[in-house]
Amino acid sequence: RPNLQATKCIVFILFMQGQLDLLRNSSGLLYRMKDAQTASKMKGSDNQEKLVYQVIEDAGNKGIWSRDIRYKSNLPLTEINKILKNLESKKLIKAVKSVAASKKKVYMLYNLQPDRSVTGGAWYSDQDFESEFVEVLNQQCFKFLQSKAEVARDSKQSPMVQRNSSFATSHEVWKYICELGISKVDLSMEDIETILNTLIYDGKVEMTIIAAKEGTVGSVDGQMKLYRGVNPIIQPTGLVKAPCGLCPVFDDCHEGGEISPSNCVYMAEWLDF
Amino acid sequence: MRGNRRSLRHLSQNSTNSDVGPPTHQRVRSAGSPSCIIQTLWAKKPIKKMTAQEVRLCGLLLQEHFGEVVERIGTHLLRGGAQNLRTIANETNTPLDLVKKSLCVLVQHGVCDFGSGRRGPGSPVEYRGNCERVLRILRYPRYIYTAKTLYGDTGELIVEEVLQRGHMTMSNTVKTVADRLTHNMEEGRSMEYSEVVSSFSKLVETHFLQRCPPVAETATAAPSATPATHRTPASVTPPTAESNPDCYKLPPVTLTGRGKRRRSSDDGEEPGGVKKAKMDSESCGDEGIYWQVNFERFHQHFRDQAIISAVASKLDQTSSEIVRTMLRMSEVTTTPTAAYTQPLSANEIFRSLPPNYSISRPILDQYLSLLVDDPMEFVGKSGDSGGGMYVVNLHRALANLARATLESVVQERFGSRSARIFRLLLRKRHLEQKQVEDFAMIPAKEAKDMLYTLLSENLVQLQEIPKTPDHAPSRTFYLYTVNQLPTARLLLQHCYKTVANLIERRLFETKENKRLLEKSQRIEAILASLQASGAEPEQLTEVEEMITAPERQQLEALRHHINKLDSTENQVDETIFLLESYIISTKSK
Repeated sequence: RPNLQATKCIVFILFMQGQLDLLRNSSGLLYRMKDAQTASKMKGSDNQEKLVYQVIEDAGNKGIWSRDIRYKSNLPLTEINKILKNLESKKLIKAVKSVAASKKKVYMLYNLQPDRSVTGGAWYSDQDFESEFVEVLNQQCFKFLQSKAEVARDSKQSPMVQRNSSFATSHEVWKYICELGISKVDLSMEDIETILNTLIYDGKVEMTIIAAKEGTVGSVDGQMKLYRGVNPIIQPTGLVKAPCGLCPVFDDCHEGGEISPSNCVYMAEWLDF
Repeated sequence: MRGNRRSLRHLSQNSTNSDVGPPTHQRVRSAGSPSCIIQTLWAKKPIKKMTAQEVRLCGLLLQEHFGEVVERIGTHLLRGGAQNLRTIANETNTPLDLVKKSLCVLVQHGVCDFGSGRRGPGSPVEYRGNCERVLRILRYPRYIYTAKTLYGDTGELIVEEVLQRGHMTMSNTVKTVADRLTHNMEEGRSMEYSEVVSSFSKLVETHFLQRCPPVAETATAAPSATPATHRTPASVTPPTAESNPDCYKLPPVTLTGRGKRRRSSDDGEEPGGVKKAKMDSESCGDEGIYWQVNFERFHQHFRDQAIISAVASKLDQTSSEIVRTMLRMSEVTTTPTAAYTQPLSANEIFRSLPPNYSISRPILDQYLSLLVDDPMEFVGKSGDSGGGMYVVNLHRALANLARATLESVVQERFGSRSARIFRLLLRKRHLEQKQVEDFAMIPAKEAKDMLYTLLSENLVQLQEIPKTPDHAPSRTFYLYTVNQLPTARLLLQHCYKTVANLIERRLFETKENKRLLEKSQRIEAILASLQASGAEPEQLTEVEEMITAPERQQLEALRHHINKLDSTENQVDETIFLLESYIISTKSK
């Protein structure tokens, strides 16, 4: 029978040597072997560094702000900064700029992939929102859906078949975009769905959800989202055909005033057009 | 369409249209006329509050169509609510007889109605203006054009005449229209009365024309009516045309004859076909039966047109034909403010499809179920009997059209990305700043700018939801939201102001070039008389050259401006129609 007392001693020694991580869960304390590489790098560190490293590790891939490190470890700011510089030079941690506040820097372990909330995901590169990229994707998705709808209309089949074939699943659109190769970063199906949603808000596309068998390509939680290009139901409305409908000083205009229908320059230009 | 509009303007050159004659149902004030207590409630009926823009637009329309005096009286009535004759005369500083004539004109056209005063029976009659009716004047060209598309030139002229005169007897209308049509035909041909009568009866059958509503009281002409005379209790509101069961019944008269050609060289002929028809003293047997245009029916037609074209854009031609069939079947069974039509069975629809649209029954069922499934919900399914019972969702369709109108205005005025934010808020109701940025995928700075612009124009509202009782800004949710109904009302007021602006600009342009216009008219008159008396071509050229080339250019530019302004007024009226229909349909739900 293994000697429980001896095991406890050995564990205690290993821990004091800094080779074990101490964790706690519902059933009690747990010990884990530290990663050999990291362990060797940390050999020369003192306890304060170890503490800071622990705090940063706990923050996972969301990272932690230097001020929050201070709160958690109760160490003075100057010490923290020294330690952070030290750890960075040892390539144990790295600083990542957060997209939420451009001045804020969060620290995380060196080999971790930063979470989306920090980098902004596929739409941000170096803290800048890639408007043009989003715009291009928006147009490409719309063209794809539009041509699919046109093909369906021209097919002259029964109306039900026509309508069903004018739809495309989000998976289809995602595949099309990936094959186009216009994106430098990898886009997930969810990313494409956010682009498709903007098309819905542009009034160009409508969406329906259908039930799908688990395992069908592109289905998520037993559902599939279908998208289709649509036409607007009215032409631009009458009001905007008049210069007043678009006038920036509409509220200041009245007969007898400085701006009035009689002396309106927008009207004059529009009439002569 | 333009010509019609202008001819209406020419009507206003005569000051108060004394030639239209007094309406037959002018109430005669008799000294001892008893009446019910209920009648006094007429004056107390709440009237719709008018906005400044509405009053301004009504004033401009009244002036263009009836002249300055009527405009003054009309505007005063619209602003001030129910008033009696003396008050009107005093407050507008107009002589009494002019006030009476103006009121005649206004009553004739349904702009003004009258009833007993607020101090009870026996007090002076009070007159009240009807703003909505005045605004209808803007839509006259559309009514006339619709009649033309449905019933040809004859229908067009009938509707035009009835609109110009307010109320007309059938015999009068037929004679006038026949004369006008004859005038445009070649020498030796004339228009049969019976043809005009058939167009007239078609208009009545389809409810585009209706009999004028019966007058509220049958007043005895004799001033010595005894107090004991039995009176039928009057209704609280002025009776509508529909309250008369004979509303769409043609009078039992036969009119035979042909139109008479009006010649300028005839002796003793009065100039102007209008007066000539009035002078005709033949009695035709339909005195006292006056007809008016049924605006509601035309509005129903416009609404149906809008729905059909929306379905055609969203779905396809065949779907729109099916919806057209359904609406046609529901024309007389649905009230104007109903939220949806009566249920129609698929069997009935199949039987009523137009003969050149031969689709099979199963295909029709497919189209119907596609219509029902469409997110816009144009058509709904209300049951399964008869192969499926379907209704057209009128209110939903109007709401969708109004929404598309609002979105269109935002898009044209502020750009596609602001429109995206607007549509996003319409869908999601309430969103925080950050959520708007994320859903619309617009960078924070630009999204903020756009939201603030929309907010300042009152197209978007901000709702505060405090987390703590002290409403501290850092602990409050600020949610952006769009409310469709108030926004529609706001845009409607913008439309009224826009139309008034366009009219004022048109009047300004005409005034600026008054001298040139008068000169051109004089020259034309000279040319016409020279041609009629057989002048030499050199003489004609000499007269023509009295207008210089730059003047001709200026005249051409002026014509172009006036046409453009006129047609844009009609286009803005289309927006007004959609928004008004939506607001009325929502209010009556």
